[in-house]
Amino acid sequence: MDFTESDEHRDLRAAVGAIAAPFGGAYYAEHARAGTECTELWHALGDAGFAGVNVPEEYGGGGGGLVELALVCEEIAAQGAPILLLLVTHAISAEVLVEYGTDAQRKEWLPGLASGRRKVVFAITEPGAGSNTHKLTTRARRVGDEWVVTGEKYYISGVDEAEALLLVARTGDEGQLSLFLVPTDAPGLQKSVLPVDVMLPEKQFTLHFDEVRLPASALVGEEGQGFRQVFHGLNPERITGAALCVGIARYALSRAARYAGEREVWGKPIGTHQGVAHPLAKAKIETELAALMTRKAAWLHQHGHPAGEAANMAKYGAAEAALAACDAAIQTHGGNGVAQEFGLLPYWGLARLLRIAPVNREMVLNFVAQHSLGLPRSY
Amino acid sequence: MNIVVLVKQVPDTYSERKLSSGDHTLDRDATDAVLDEIDERAVESALQLKEANDGSEVTVVAMGPDRATDAIRKALSMGADKAVHLSDEAIHGTDAIGTAKALVKVLGTLEGTDLVLAGNEASDGRTGAVPAMVAELLGLPSLTHARELTVDGGTVTVRRETDDGVTVLTAELPAVVSVNEKINEPRYPSFKGIMAAKKKPVTTLTLADAGIEPSDVGLSAAWSTVTESNPKPPKSGGEKVEDEGDGGSKIAAFLVGQKLI
Ligand SMILES: Cc1cc2nc3c(=O)[nH]c(=O)nc-3n(C[C@H](O)[C@H](O)[C@H](O)COP(=O)(O)OP(=O)(O)OC[C@H]3O[C@@H](n4cnc5c(N)ncnc54)[C@H](O)[C@@H]3O)c2cc1C
Repeated sequence: MDFTESDEHRDLRAAVGAIAAPFGGAYYAEHARAGTECTELWHALGDAGFAGVNVPEEYGGGGGGLVELALVCEEIAAQGAPILLLLVTHAISAEVLVEYGTDAQRKEWLPGLASGRRKVVFAITEPGAGSNTHKLTTRARRVGDEWVVTGEKYYISGVDEAEALLLVARTGDEGQLSLFLVPTDAPGLQKSVLPVDVMLPEKQFTLHFDEVRLPASALVGEEGQGFRQVFHGLNPERITGAALCVGIARYALSRAARYAGEREVWGKPIGTHQGVAHPLAKAKIETELAALMTRKAAWLHQHGHPAGEAANMAKYGAAEAALAACDAAIQTHGGNGVAQEFGLLPYWGLARLLRIAPVNREMVLNFVAQHSLGLPRSY
Repeated sequence: MNIVVLVKQVPDTYSERKLSSGDHTLDRDATDAVLDEIDERAVESALQLKEANDGSEVTVVAMGPDRATDAIRKALSMGADKAVHLSDEAIHGTDAIGTAKALVKVLGTLEGTDLVLAGNEASDGRTGAVPAMVAELLGLPSLTHARELTVDGGTVTVRRETDDGVTVLTAELPAVVSVNEKINEPRYPSFKGIMAAKKKPVTTLTLADAGIEPSDVGLSAAWSTVTESNPKPPKSGGEKVEDEGDGGSKIAAFLVGQKLI
């Protein structure tokens, strides 16, 4: 067994960190507070080829895989700039289009995803179907050589920033799932902002599809194979989500360690008190454990091995670690922990959200109970 | 055009730098090591010249311990084509003159060099003398402290900026140019650059390979000797000025006292 990181990966971490550092926490917190896209960071990452690490070279990408994409997510977050939307644009949409997209779809969308200039977001969740995808009701009917979509989606991130969305809808008599590329300005598609109290650069949307007409060429992959195809993107989403959490935890802990080493209340740094130090040490341990599982999951996926169990465990561990790290960092800062000037709450909110999305903690525990332990299923 | 860039791996300026207790040389293990910031700009200059002149090649030359390969890889991942690394235990403690002599020998292993680029000083030693010494030993024109650099046919022109003023220098190639920290903003290594770097040729030379006399390098050949060193004292509390309507003049008096104004 060999745990040394390759030169390329060390260099990749350093280079991504160097690009994200000048943006950092101040830039991110400002955009998260205002709910505005981190455009400059997207462009900087795209220009250096880091947004498109997992896009094949023939489409202007880096030709790497999920291991590299996860490193990018971790390192931007570790500099205080965790871009949540990368989880859908690059971990889901790019992975699915590379694997199942037609030649024309790949040519149209992958170069823009690689340069960080164009986005394809992802729409599966519905008011009646979050954890339970069996309840999805959005439908695409075949009418002549067109598809006609009706239904509703919610909590869809970044629709205003994206030119298209990858839609999961039912098709055919059997109502199997299929995937479609839908332009975000398609006639009949109504988008309304779904306000959330978590500070995020990305806005969330409720989408109404009222007889939205799509050309036959909008179908991604095979009709009725949507379930299997979506799964090709869900593990990457969980793995990059885990990587983002590891980065958030690293950022929170480095801020907390600095503060605890400098702030004096009783004539010595507060980090001297174990009440302050131990929660940080515990979160550090949990972060390192989660980081290991995240790397394993990314490696399994990239090498074509089953990655479901590792991806779920990584997502669970990393979200818990990030939340514990943010919570301990805020506590370490005392009153300053909630001050805008210190900008810690946006990370707590993001980590809290990542316990729920893209897959919630309970569904991960269900997966492990059922698949890893062979326990009966409750639902 | 064949461009050679002299690069050095130095301790990260953000980390605390220490001298080793034994021979008072830099304790390289105590700090993170990075490609010198000004050398990164020299590499950037070389890459810009390469991009403007078809068929050019950029070679980086580094002298330093094994781990200097990290700094070399950074230059390669930015886009340099190949590297030569002089790596030999015996170069430990070499002074500026010995460094210049050794670099000249390494440069001698490369054919058809048109332009040698370097940073005007390294952030660790800060002697700022090596580029000029290299030029002197090679018998080439030396154009130091370049803020701007252009090559037109066989002529190199630099805008030299120092505290003494601005001078425009021109010379025929081949020549040695050292650049200052204002010449450009170095590019970030791209993902493709990082993946390609590992496959680019790096020639590792020992003293013997490069034909360097052991008596010209190392601590024992250095012209100066450090007999004693002390860490700099911690920052003191400073002086607090209470403003009772006369804050401005008190600050002015303080600055005059420090001979700052
Ligand atoms: C900010 C944000 C951004 C999002 N972005 C997107 C996006 O871009 N695209 C998209 O498609 N979706 C998106 N989502 C949706 C997200 O994936 C869902 O919220 C998530 O999957 C949970 O689904 P739900 O909200 O319907 O919760 P529900 O399914 O209603 O579950 C509610 C709670 O019940 C519990 N629970 C449910 N089932 C079980 C069970 N079997 N056993 C035990 N406990 C259970 C869980 O604790 C869960 O948290 C986003 C959500 C948020 C908050």
